[in-house]
This record gives sequence, structure tokens and C-alpha cells, in this order.
Amino acid sequence: MAFHKVNVTINGEMEQVVVPSNMTLMRMLREILAFTGTKNGCSAGECGACTVLLNGEPVNSCMVLAVECDGTEIITVEGLAGDKQLDPIQEAMIQEGGVQCGFCTPGILISSYALLKRNPNPSEDEIREALVGNLCRCTGYVRIIESVKEAAKRS
Amino acid sequence: MSLTRSTLWVGQSLPRVDAPGKVTGETQYSGDLSMPGMLQMKILFAGRPHARVVKIDTTQAEAAPGVVAIFTAKDVPVNEYGLQWNDQPVLCGRGQGEKGSRVAPDVVRFIGDQVAIVVAETEKAAAHARDLIHVEYEELPAVFDPLAAMQPGAPLVHPELGDTNICVHDRLRKGDVEAGFAKAEVIVESEYFTPVQEHAYLQPEAGLAYIDEEGRVTIKAGGQWTHTDRAQIAHALGVSDEEVRVIYPAIGGAFGGREDMSVQIVLALAAWRLDQLGVRRPVKIVWSRKESIIGHCKRHPMRLRAKWGASKDGKLVAAETEIIADGGAYMYTSNKVLGNTTITSTGPYFIPNLKTDVYGVYTNNIPSAAFRGFGAPQALFMAEMQMDKLAEKLGLDTVEMRRRNALRDGDTLGVGTPVPGPVSILHCIEAAAQHAGWEKEPDGWRNVKRENVQPANLKRGRGFACGFKNVGFSFGYKENSWARVELHGDEEIEGVVAAHAGAEVGQGTHTVMVQMVAEAVGVPLEKVTLMTSDSAGMGNPGSASASRMTLMAGNALKGAAEAALAKWEAEERPAIAEYTYRAPETTPFDKESGYSTPNFAYAYVAQAVELEVDTETGFIKILRVVSADDVGQAINPALVEGQIEGGVVQAQGYALMENFITRDGYVLTDQLSTYLIPTILDIPDAVDSVIVEVPSPIGPWGARGLGELPFLPLAAAIAAAVHDATGVWFDELPLTPERVLRGLGKI
Repeated sequence: MAFHKVNVTINGEMEQVVVPSNMTLMRMLREILAFTGTKNGCSAGECGACTVLLNGEPVNSCMVLAVECDGTEIITVEGLAGDKQLDPIQEAMIQEGGVQCGFCTPGILISSYALLKRNPNPSEDEIREALVGNLCRCTGYVRIIESVKEAAKRS
Repeated sequence: MSLTRSTLWVGQSLPRVDAPGKVTGETQYSGDLSMPGMLQMKILFAGRPHARVVKIDTTQAEAAPGVVAIFTAKDVPVNEYGLQWNDQPVLCGRGQGEKGSRVAPDVVRFIGDQVAIVVAETEKAAAHARDLIHVEYEELPAVFDPLAAMQPGAPLVHPELGDTNICVHDRLRKGDVEAGFAKAEVIVESEYFTPVQEHAYLQPEAGLAYIDEEGRVTIKAGGQWTHTDRAQIAHALGVSDEEVRVIYPAIGGAFGGREDMSVQIVLALAAWRLDQLGVRRPVKIVWSRKESIIGHCKRHPMRLRAKWGASKDGKLVAAETEIIADGGAYMYTSNKVLGNTTITSTGPYFIPNLKTDVYGVYTNNIPSAAFRGFGAPQALFMAEMQMDKLAEKLGLDTVEMRRRNALRDGDTLGVGTPVPGPVSILHCIEAAAQHAGWEKEPDGWRNVKRENVQPANLKRGRGFACGFKNVGFSFGYKENSWARVELHGDEEIEGVVAAHAGAEVGQGTHTVMVQMVAEAVGVPLEKVTLMTSDSAGMGNPGSASASRMTLMAGNALKGAAEAALAKWEAEERPAIAEYTYRAPETTPFDKESGYSTPNFAYAYVAQAVELEVDTETGFIKILRVVSADDVGQAINPALVEGQIEGGVVQAQGYALMENFITRDGYVLTDQLSTYLIPTILDIPDAVDSVIVEVPSPIGPWGARGLGELPFLPLAAAIAAAVHDATGVWFDELPLTPERVLRGLGKI
């Protein structure tokens, strides 16, 4: 197994990591860098719990190899909040009840954050489309949609 | 005291106490935990439905790089476990652990039975070594169809337990069904099939085990009931309960699927045996999605046959019902689930004459057990479909049919004893019907039809269905829940520390507990600190199941708070009180008639559905669901609505899309790309929650229970709406496009 040196910016901090060729970004984040906010729900790109921003785009981090991330910028759920100030999407998710068990929440937050960055005023259909890759088994999604609408108002 | 003043915190839609940690990524689930020196574990699953383990050769695996230890049946002191019956080996094989065991420990009875565990320095090394374990099996004849399994001569799953695979048979005998049918104007006979359902909680099973500072084998893994997890682990290790400690980290959903053991016993075994070998290192395991799907229980699939009669005025006169449920390879909670199926098979209606037989059958499939609704959704699908078909034959509106038969205070249930009141199904029916657009006219309720202005292939329909279910444990279980409340301060109460081990599985129970403690003590919310699920130093909370936690934990915390306040008044500082709430007693079924007082409380629900069927594609689009749920008293209305929305969408998945496919005991849908659960694009256009509050006399501040209610009647309401739209009755779930097109005669 070959190993590779990877330079990445994670939540604004430069990191240098040595990873094996077959390690996914998800495992690098969780196992090497201890960003356990990124969840592993399937390791197969099916549930969206491991969604992170890769150069601003939401990706399933279980479907990206760590070596592909050399020179990229990554934002995880831990990087959404500013200095002691939650992002509006995090605030809204708390206030509107978009969280139940919370295991899908990091991925939902990242996908919603990316949506609001590119479209600050999304319609309900656009919200649904942006979150179709993020499964939730608890909430029935109703309050997640409300949370995104509320965050759009606050931003 | 609290009932006499207006509430401060009860009834407030406050944000969840656990939400901040969950939105920042700080909250740790069991798969996120790590400790210094931690080892990794992998399980060797049997991967075959029925076989005898002849020989296990671990020589090659033990020599593999990174391997620390491999444990098999010979390392399990008491090689059996189970929540209801000890009928499952911890690790299949022959060893030291047969003493007292009722079942052969060397027999594999479903593909997810566990055979060996490998502990290694890394996950990869553990997986590699696992694949080097050689197991010699003697294949045994297997049985997968519960109907075939009931026949004499069928292969026996548990020959030690008797000469039949029938492991549950509940009966109700009330009145005289023949005399009842003689009075019937109309009779409907049907056969229904309900499918397996997979919990598909987002967090696959995971856990961490270590020896704590007091020498206890400690397991951090999500579950639903700390103290029965502990008891099952202790039993298998042959140690006392006090030598085992169970702690719950955050839990990524449960829905009943974490009530039985998955990784807990083998994790404990690994840490405990390693310690005996002089290796005191923590051990961690994380299941893959596939391991989760083959490794934990499912909702019982059932075949339900019903013959129901009603008089000319729409009153039910008799019902004869036979239900056969696939219990899978082990008992798990089938006996309790099917007891519940038996009770709810009448629907929330008064039926004077009954003959009901409910069977649970062992097969070589994945065990069936608890899943939100606990046997009621299947029974209610049958009962509510029967109601609709009878109403159609009588020319009665479906809501009116239900109003005429709804249980009233004092009515006897199928078990022959009065239903504990107040019975609120009529409140729910009226609330749901009104909200959904039914109109109450002098001669009864009427579904006001709207113009269908859609293209010809889009047919709209409306359906209505009801449900009811017990709150709390049944059938003579000494239902109880423990809590402790500490009041700290000098002149005034400066801080409250409450302890309750009840599982927060996502439903919001910790938030509700904090609200109830603040209410009971009469302090601001921020003064309350909640100590959560840890079996060490906490009494038995009971399970986060049976929609029971608000009622049981609420009464326990309220009792402890009141006792602590009394000590505070007596100048004790800090004032500390423990309290165990004991629910009213219940009794088990009489074997012949089912006569019993099986439950101390019920909760009720009625739902209406409006949908559109595309008759060209078979696709069903849910436009609106109205769910009227009697929660007694909403402690936190926003959380109630969250439970209703989540329950509705989970039930929508059950009714329309979740299609769990097995072949000869093997699972063909073992991923989330083949077992499809609702995405955000699949949900109804609108879910309208109607909170009904008819207080329970024994509930804290009148609260009943909620978690399961919104799941109960939805499948029937959907099938009724599909019938309204297309004129076709669909008696088998899920209503996939293919099944709909077949039903419409299009393919």
C-alpha cells in the first residue's frame, strides 16, 4: 500500500496528513483528524450523513479518496460556526426543531449551508432538491425544510 | 401540587436541550468514541440460515498480523441470551457455556447469528483475520415460510423447545361469533399481507467496551433500556449485574430496533476476556450498514385473515380473525408484540362477539421484534380495511362507520374487561375528520367530494383510519420507573440535579424530562441539570419503547421532585430523594379466552389522507396527511409535532416503498440503495398535526404517550384513499408502483 502526503485546509486550518491510497476523505476526517461530526451511515454514498464541503461543493466524503483532496479546502460541520456564533442554519435547526436523533444533522447542515450560499432565497422545491441526497429517518423532513426557510430569512 | 397551579414549563414548545451539541458536531455517538490504546473488533457472522457448527479453526487467523485475540463459543461462560427467552447463543459453537442452556449453542438459525469475534490492532487487521477463520458447518434443512413452518413435519428451528415451530398462540373468545354473524346484514372476508420493515436508523450499531476504574465491564453502546442490556450481558458472562455497567452515548435513532442485543454482549466479552489475559485495553466495533441490516431484528411480516360482520345500522356484530406472524429465528419480543397484535386486532371499536387466533412462528429468517407500533400497525391495517369494506357494502361514510363503533368509556375490549378511560378515540375521529374536510350532517359524517380537475390518469382519493395502542408495559409486568432529584442551595434552590436512565433515542425525552423537573420543582429551566443513561448509580428506567417514557419517567421524576421538596421544607440540604413510580397492575391473557386486564393506559389516533394515483405509472403521491393524536397533555407541542411528522413519513415508507426482499433467508436488500426509505422528495406535500388533549388520570400533568401513535393507522388510510381514487382494494403492502399497476390490471 502506497502512502501519500496530503495538504488540505480544513475549517480554515492547514493540515498535512499522510494517508494510504485507498483511504476515503470520510475516514481521514474521522480517524486521523478526529472530526467525528462527519458521520458514517453507509460508506456507500447512499445516506449523505458524511456530507462535507469540498472547495465549496457538498460531496459524500465516503465517495472521495483522501489523496484527491490535496490542495483543497474542506468544511465540516465543526467549521460552520464562527467565533462562538452559530451559523444561521445551525440556529434555525435548533429553533425550528429540525434535529431529532441528530445523526443525519451534520450532512443536512452542510447541504443546506451550500444551498443557501449559492441561492440565499430558495423555494421549497429547491430546498427539497438540494437535500435529496440526505436521508433522515426521524423527522419526516418537515422541520428540516422549515429550518432552511428560517435560515434564509435570518441570513 | 403542580396540578393546582398553571404550568410554567409544561406545554411550552422549547428547543431541545441536546440540539446545540448535535448541530455543532460535538455530540458523540458510540461510533465516534475513542480511548487510548483502543483495539478494534470484527464479528464473523454465520452467513447461512440453518447449520450446525462442527468445527472452528482459528489457527491461521490467530497468526495474522495485528491480531490480539479471537473468541468463540468456548469463551462464553453462559452461551445464551434473549430479552424474553434465552433462546439465542452469543456465539454459535460448542464450548464450556452449555450449562443450563435450553437450546443447542452450536446451531446457527439465521444468517446474522454470530460465530466468532476477532480483536486486533486495527479494523483492517481484524477484518483480514476474520476471513481466515475456517468454520466447518453441517447444513440443516431450513424453513422460511411461516405457513410451511406451522405444518407437521416441517424442519424445526428449536427442536429442544418442543415439536412445533409455533412459539406464540394468543386467543380471544368473547360472546358467540356464530350468533353474531347471524345478525349481520353484511359480512366481509379478506386476507391481508403486511411486509417486513427494516428500522434503517441512520446510525449503524457501534460500541466501545472497557474495564472502568471500579473494575466493571463497561459498555458504551446505544440501546433502549440500560438495565436489560446490563442483565443480558451479565447473564452471558456469568457475573452479577453490578459487575457490568452500561452507558448510553448519543443514539442515532432506534424505533424498537435497538431493544434487543447486537454488539453489546460480544463487546463486553472481548474486553472482559482480554482483561483476564492481562490485556486491559478498550475494544471498539462499528457495524457497516450491511451488518446492521442482517444483524438486527425487523418488523414482523404477517398474514391476516378476517371475517367481520356488521348490522344494517352499521354496528359491528362479530369478528373472526386469524393472524400468522413470522417470528424469525429467535423469540426476541415476539410474545409481547403479538399480544399487542391480538389486542389491537379489533381496532378501537366495540365488537360484542370475537374469535381471534394469533400465531407466532419460528423460521430461519432474521428475528422479528420491536418496531414502532409493536404489532399494532399490522393488526390495524387489517381492522381498518375491514371497516372500510363494511362501510362500502352498507353505503355508509367511512368516518360515520367508525363513529358508530368507536369505543366509549365502559366498553369492554376483546379481552373482556373495560378499556381504561377516558377513551378519546371519538375526539380524535372528529378532530381529524373536521380538519380533513368531512362534514357533520344531521344523519352523520359525510366525505364532501371535490371536483377532480387533474388529467385523466391522475386519480385523487381520500381515506380515513384510526388506531389505538397501550402506553407502557403489559400483561402482568410490574411496570415501574426510577428517578432521583437533588435540590442544592441554601436559602433558595440554586440548582436541581435530576437523574433518569431513560434512553434519548432522538424522540426528545431528555428535553421533556428537564421541562417536567423544572415544572415539578418550580424553578427556571436553566437550573436543572439532567444526569442521563448510566446503569451505575441509577435505578431501572424501563425501556424507551411502548410510548411509555413521558408517562413513566414523568411520574418518576415528579414523585422524586415532590419527595425532595418535602425534605427541602424540612431543612435538609441538599435535599435528595429517589422515587420509583409503579404503574397500575395488569394481568396476562387467559390461555383459552384471552380474558385479562392487559394494560393500564391507552392512547388514540385518527388520520385522514388525500392522495393522487397515477394510473399510468402506478405512482402514488401523498398530498396531505391529517393526524389527530391524543397525547393527553403535550409537554412540548413542537416535539409532539416532530414525532407526528416523523411517524407519518416512516409509515408512508412502510405503506408505499419499503420492500424488504429475502430469498431462502438471505437478504437481497441489504443497502440503502436497494432498501429504499423516504427521501425528502417522497414526503407528503403537507402533514397537519392536530394535537388532541384528553388528560390521562394517571399521566404526569395528564400526559399519555405518543411515539408510536402517528405510525399506527397510516397504511390503512392510504389504502383506503387509493381505493377511493381507483375503486380497487389493495390488501397487500407496500403499494409499490408495480403492485398498483397489477391491481389496476395494467400489467
